[in-house]
Amino acid sequence: MNRLPTSLFIVGILLLTASCSSVQLDRVNFGWPVESVVTVNNANVFEDVRYAVSAGVGKLALEEFQDSTALRGAQLRLLRNTEGYYFLTGPRFKSVYVFEPGESSLSLSTAIAVSETGLRNPALNQRPPYVELIDGDNVRILLTSSDKAEVKR
Amino acid sequence: MKTFLSFVLMLGLFVSTGTAQLSDFAVKKSFEDRFKVIAGMMDSANALPQLDSAKLAIDQLQSDFVRHEAFLDKALYPSTFSERMASLRSLHVLTYDRIYLIQTQGIKLSEMESRLASLTSRLDSLTTQRDQLFGELQESKKSLNALREAVRRLSSNLTAKDKLIFALVDSIFQPYGSNLQQVADVHKEAISQKLEKANVVTRIYEIASDNVKFLEVTQLQGKDYASVIDQYQTFTNRWAGLREKIAAVGAVSQPLPAQAGKKQMGQKGAKTISQAEKPAGASETEHVDSVLTEWRTKLNGTFWASLAREFSNAGVSVAPFNDAPSFSASIRSYVASARSNNVDPAPFVETVWKEKIDKEWRDALSKESMLGKVEYAALDKQVSELAREGIDVKLILYIAAVIAIVILVWILLSRRKKRDTPEAQST
Repeated sequence: MNRLPTSLFIVGILLLTASCSSVQLDRVNFGWPVESVVTVNNANVFEDVRYAVSAGVGKLALEEFQDSTALRGAQLRLLRNTEGYYFLTGPRFKSVYVFEPGESSLSLSTAIAVSETGLRNPALNQRPPYVELIDGDNVRILLTSSDKAEVKR
Repeated sequence: MKTFLSFVLMLGLFVSTGTAQLSDFAVKKSFEDRFKVIAGMMDSANALPQLDSAKLAIDQLQSDFVRHEAFLDKALYPSTFSERMASLRSLHVLTYDRIYLIQTQGIKLSEMESRLASLTSRLDSLTTQRDQLFGELQESKKSLNALREAVRRLSSNLTAKDKLIFALVDSIFQPYGSNLQQVADVHKEAISQKLEKANVVTRIYEIASDNVKFLEVTQLQGKDYASVIDQYQTFTNRWAGLREKIAAVGAVSQPLPAQAGKKQMGQKGAKTISQAEKPAGASETEHVDSVLTEWRTKLNGTFWASLAREFSNAGVSVAPFNDAPSFSASIRSYVASARSNNVDPAPFVETVWKEKIDKEWRDALSKESMLGKVEYAALDKQVSELAREGIDVKLILYIAAVIAIVILVWILLSRRKKRDTPEAQST
C-alpha cells in the first residue's frame, strides 16, 4: 500500500521528463544561400565572418594531404546544407568533407570522394535537397549528406 | 576612362563566368564587383557623357542579374537585389545633379572671375584717389568752401569703396548660393582662396581705418552726420554677414605671421594688416572687429562733441553730455530750469533748437543708434512747450497793457463828462 504513491510519483516524473525531451522544432532550414569562401590563416584556422563560424583545420589537412600545415593560406569552400551539415572542400581536394556540428566541434560525418586527381577550382551551390559541387566546366555532382546523388559531366 | 576600361574588363569576366557552370558565389561576387565598378565610375565622373555610360552599365547590370534576383536577395542580405539597383540609380541621379551644378557653376564662376578683376582694379584706383583727397583736405583747410568740397568728395570716395568691397564679396559668394553649410569642402576652399587672393578682409580693414581717419581729420557739420551714421551701420551689418560666411568656409581665421613695418597708405592695392597695427595673436577678422569698434567710438565722440559746440557757440549753457542719455538729461534739465527761473527761452529755443538742432541735426539724432525718433520727438515737444510758455507771458503783459489803456481812457472820458455837465446845466 505504501509503495503505490512512490510508484505513481516515479511514473509521473518519467512521463514529465519524456514529454520535455520530445519537444522538437520541425521544418528547420539550416541552409546558407551561398557558400562562404574562407582563407586558412597561419594558425591553421579559418573564420567566416557572415555566419560567425571558425574552426581549426589541422586534422583535416592531415587527413587529406598527410600534412597538418598543408592548408595554411588555402581558400576553402564551406556551405551548410538545409539539414545542418557543413560541406567543406577546396582546390586539390579529392573529397568533399561533410561535418556534423557538435559542442565546439565539427565531427566528420562522411568524406565523399569526388575526384581521383584532386579538384581544380571547386564551388558549392545550395540546391535543396542537395548540395551541388561544380569544378570547371565538366564536373557537376549533386551531393547528399552521406553520398553522391548524381554525377553529370 | 580607366574606370570604364575596368568596367568593360569586369563585364568580360562575368560573361566568361556566365558561359561556364555557375557558382552561386561567383554570381554574387560578380554582381558585387560590377556594382563597385559602376559606383566608382559615377564617383569619379566629371562630365555628363560619363554618366550616360554609367546609366547604360546600370541597365546592363540589372538585365544580367535579374534572373538571379531570388538568389541575390538571400545572398546580399541584409540588402536585396532591388535595393542595390535602386541605390545605384539614386547615386546616378545625385551624381548627375552634382555634375550639372559644377558645370553651371563653372560658367557663373568664370563670369564672376572677370567681375572680381574689374572690381579689384576699381578699388585700387579709388584707394589712389582717396590718398589724393586726404592731401587736398590738408591743403584746403584755409578756405571753408574748398574744405567742404574736399570733405564731400572724400566722403563719396569712401562710400564708393564701401559699396565696391561688398560687391566684390557678393561676387565671390554668389555662385555658391546662400546656404554655405551645404557647399562642398572643395568649393569652400575655392571661396577661401578667392577671399585671400582679393585681400578682402584686409581691404575691409583698410576701408574701416579710412573712415576712422576721415573722422579724425575732418570737422563735420550736423547735416553730414546722418549719412555718416548710415554708412557705419550698413558697413557693420554687412561685415557681420561676411564674418559669418568667412567662418562657414573656414577662411582667413588664422593669426597672421609677424610682420615688421607699418602699412603704407599711399601704395597701390591692399596690403596685409601689419603686425604693428593689430593686437598680437588676433586674426584678421578680429582686427576688423576692433577697427569697427574704434570707428564707432570715434563717430560717437565727434558727433556729441560737435553737437555740444552748437550750444556753446550760441552762448547757451547746458549740462555737458557725451551720449544719448546724457544729452536727453541735459536738455530736460535746461527746460525745467528755464521754466522755474523764468529765463527768456528765446536764445535756446529760437537760435539753437529751431535753427540748428531741428534743421541740421534732427536726421542724425533721430537714428535709432543715436537718440531715436521717439526720444527726439519727446525732447522737441518739451522745447516747443517752453517756447509757448514764453509766448503766453508776453500775451498776458500785452493784454494787461491793453486793459490798463482802456481803463485810463475810460477814466479820462468820465472826467470830461463831469466837467461838461455843470456848464450845460448853467446855460
